[in-house]
Amino acid sequence: MAVARPSGSDHALLYVPGTSWLHRLNPMTKLVAVLWIAVAAFVLPTAGTIALAGLAAATGILAGAGKVFARRLAFTLTPLTVALFVVHGLLVGHGNQTDWFGLTVSRDGIAFMFHILGRIAALLAGSLLFVTTTHPARLLKALDSKGFPPGMAYLIASPLLLLDPFTTRARAIREAQSARGLDLNGSLMTRIRAFPALLMPLITLALADIDHRAQVLDGRGFRAVPRRTVLDPPPDSPAQLWARRLILISIPFQIAGGLLWR
Amino acid sequence: MRLDTRTLVLMAVAIVINVVVGQIAVWVKLPLYVDAVGTVLVAILAGPIAGALTGVLTNLIWGLVSDPTAAAFFPVSMVVGLLAGWLARIGWFRSIGMTVAAGAVIGVISTIVAIPIIVYMFGGVTGAGTDFATAYLVAVGHELVRSVAIANLVQNLADKILTCLLAWLIVKRLPLRFSSGFAFFAHSKV
Amino acid sequence: MALIEVDNLTFGYEPDAPVLDGITLEIAEGERIAILGGNGSGKSTLAQWIAGWLPRGAHKASQGEVRVNGTTWQGLDARTRTETVQFVGQVPMQQLSGFAFTVWDEIVFGPGNLGLPPDEIVARAERAVAMCNLAHLLERDPFSLSGGEQQRLSIAAALAMQPRALVLDEPTGNFDPESRDILLAQMADLPGGLTTIWCDVALGPPLVVADRFLLLDEARIVFDGDARAFLAHPRTRDIFGLPAVAEVAALLAKAGRWPGGILPPFDLDEAVAAFGAVMEGTIPA
Repeated sequence: MAVARPSGSDHALLYVPGTSWLHRLNPMTKLVAVLWIAVAAFVLPTAGTIALAGLAAATGILAGAGKVFARRLAFTLTPLTVALFVVHGLLVGHGNQTDWFGLTVSRDGIAFMFHILGRIAALLAGSLLFVTTTHPARLLKALDSKGFPPGMAYLIASPLLLLDPFTTRARAIREAQSARGLDLNGSLMTRIRAFPALLMPLITLALADIDHRAQVLDGRGFRAVPRRTVLDPPPDSPAQLWARRLILISIPFQIAGGLLWR
Repeated sequence: MRLDTRTLVLMAVAIVINVVVGQIAVWVKLPLYVDAVGTVLVAILAGPIAGALTGVLTNLIWGLVSDPTAAAFFPVSMVVGLLAGWLARIGWFRSIGMTVAAGAVIGVISTIVAIPIIVYMFGGVTGAGTDFATAYLVAVGHELVRSVAIANLVQNLADKILTCLLAWLIVKRLPLRFSSGFAFFAHSKV
Repeated sequence: MALIEVDNLTFGYEPDAPVLDGITLEIAEGERIAILGGNGSGKSTLAQWIAGWLPRGAHKASQGEVRVNGTTWQGLDARTRTETVQFVGQVPMQQLSGFAFTVWDEIVFGPGNLGLPPDEIVARAERAVAMCNLAHLLERDPFSLSGGEQQRLSIAAALAMQPRALVLDEPTGNFDPESRDILLAQMADLPGGLTTIWCDVALGPPLVVADRFLLLDEARIVFDGDARAFLAHPRTRDIFGLPAVAEVAALLAKAGRWPGGILPPFDLDEAVAAFGAVMEGTIPA
C-alpha cells in the first residue's frame, strides 16, 4: 500500500510542499540546524548575520519556498526597519550624527538598526528553512519515533488540525451576528461590546466537545501502552546523526567565540 | 507529571481559542491582542503547569502557521499561564473584582518579562502599534527602556484585564457537568 | 455468558434526575441490537455505558453496574477496553482523534497506540480501508472530508482496533439518504461475529442492521423483541409516528429482511396494507 503523505495544502501553514533535499532531510537534523542558526544570530557581527540570513534565504529559494521567504521577511522586516530608523536613527541620541536630506541622522543608530535587522532576518530565515520544508506530520513522526511523549505531540497536532474548522466556525458566527445587527465598524465602545457576542458562542461550542474528544482518544488506546508503534518514520542516516552531534558540540564553541570576539 | 486525556484535549482546544479569539480581536479592530483567553482558561481549570504549557505551545504554533518571530515571546505566554494558575489557586478568580486585580498583576509581570525581549532582541520596537507610543516617549526625552516599558505596560494592562475578564465570564457559565471533572477549579468556586 | 450485562442500572448526570432507571439488559456475542427511543429517552447515555465511556469522573451509577464478561469496566485495563467495545458517536468531526493529518494515519493511530508490530497494523488498516471503502481518500486531511466520509472513517478507525462489539449512536443522524444508504450497505459487510449496537431516533436504518429491538421510553426499557412485535408496540407508534411505522412496515413486508443495507423505495398503498398486516400479526419478522 502506498504510504499516505500529507499534501499540506489543506492547512494554513507556512509549509510549502516539495521534494527537495531539504524536504527529505530528517526533521531532527533541521531542528538542530535551526538551533545553530539561532545562536549564530546572536553571536555574529552585523555582516555575519546578514550573510547568514542571505544564505538561509538562498537555500530556501532553492528548496522552492522563495515566495514564502520573500513575503514573510518583507512583512516582518519592513515595519521593523521603519520603527528602528525612527527610534534609533533619529530619536535616541546615538553618536556620529550627520545631516541627511535635512534630517539629523545618527550613523551609530543606523549601524544599530542594521545590527538588529540582521539578527532578526537570520532568526526568521533560519526558522523559515525548517517551517517551510517540514510538514508538522513529519516533524511529529520524527519526534514520535524518538520516544517524544505522545501527549505533547497531540498538543501540537490537534490545534493545527482544529484551526481551520474553528476559523470557519468563527466566520459563520460573525456572519450570523452581523445579520442580527451586530456592528463591527462602530465606535470603540460598540466594538468592545460586540467582542463577547462573537467569541462566547464559539468558546462554548469548543468546550462542549472536550469530553467526547477525550473519550475518542482513550477509546483508541491513546497512551494505553508505554511505547506506540510509528509507521514510516522519516528516514534517518548515520551521516545525519553525526551531523547533528557535530552541530550540537559546536554550539558551546560558537557561544564562547562570540563572547571572546567582543 | 502526566496530564489526563481530558486536560490534554482542553489544552489543545484552548490553543485554538487563543489563536481564533486573537483573530476576532483583529476583525473588530481592537487595539489589543487578546491572545491568551485560552491560556487563562486552562490555568483556572487545570492549574499553572497546564496553563504555562498552553501558553508556550500557542506561540510555537503561531511560529508554524504564520510568524516564526512570535515564538520568541514564548516566555511571556508561559508567565501568563503560570501566574494565572497561581492566582487561581489562592482564589483570585472567585469574583469579578479579584479577576480584574489578577489581570492587572498578570499584565504588569508579563510586561516585565516582555521588555528584555523587546529591547535586546528587537531593539525596542516590535513593528506593531505600540511603536508609535514608544517613539513618542523617546522623542519627548525618556530613555529607550523606560519608553518601551511605559508603552507596552499601558497596552498589556488593558489586554490582560480584558483577557482575564473574558476567561472568568466563560468559566462562570460552564455547566457543573463540565467543570466537575477539573479538580483544580475548586479554587475558583465561590 | 453474555458479552455485556447491564444490571439494574440507574444513573443521572444531576442528582434526582435519572436518565436511566433500573435498566437490565444482556447482550450476547454476535448479536445485532437496535436501541430506539425519542429525544431524551436515555439512548445515548445507555450507549455510553455499554461502550465503557461511563462511568467517568464524577458521573457514577447510583445503582447497578455494567459488566463485560463478568468484570466491570473499571476492572479492565485500557487495552482490553479498547479491544472489547468501540464507540462511534453522532457528530462526525468529534470522532476524529485530532492526532492524524491523513486518513491513513487516522486509521493506524489506534493500533499504533497498542504498540502492535508494523505488519499487523498495516494489515488491520488495509482490511478496515477495504470494508469502509476509503482507498481513494487515504491522503486527505480527515477534517476536510464530508460528514459521511468522516463517519465511515471513524468506523474504519474503530474496526482497526478489532473490537468484539461496535456501538453506534445515531451514526446517520445528519446524513442525506444517499450517504445513509452507503453507510448501511457497508454495515452488511462488517465481520460476521461482530456484536453491533445501533442507537437511533429513526426507524429505517436500525431495521436494516438489527434483528433485536429495544424501545427506551422515559429512562426505562419498555420493549425488547423482534422487528414485527416492535412495530406493533403501541409506544412505537406514539414515539415515531404512524407514517414512519407504516413506511418501515412496508419495507419489511416487501423484503422480509432486506439484504445489502439499502432502503428500497416505498409505496403508500403497500405501506397501509403492510401496517395492517403487522398489526394483525400476519407478517413474519
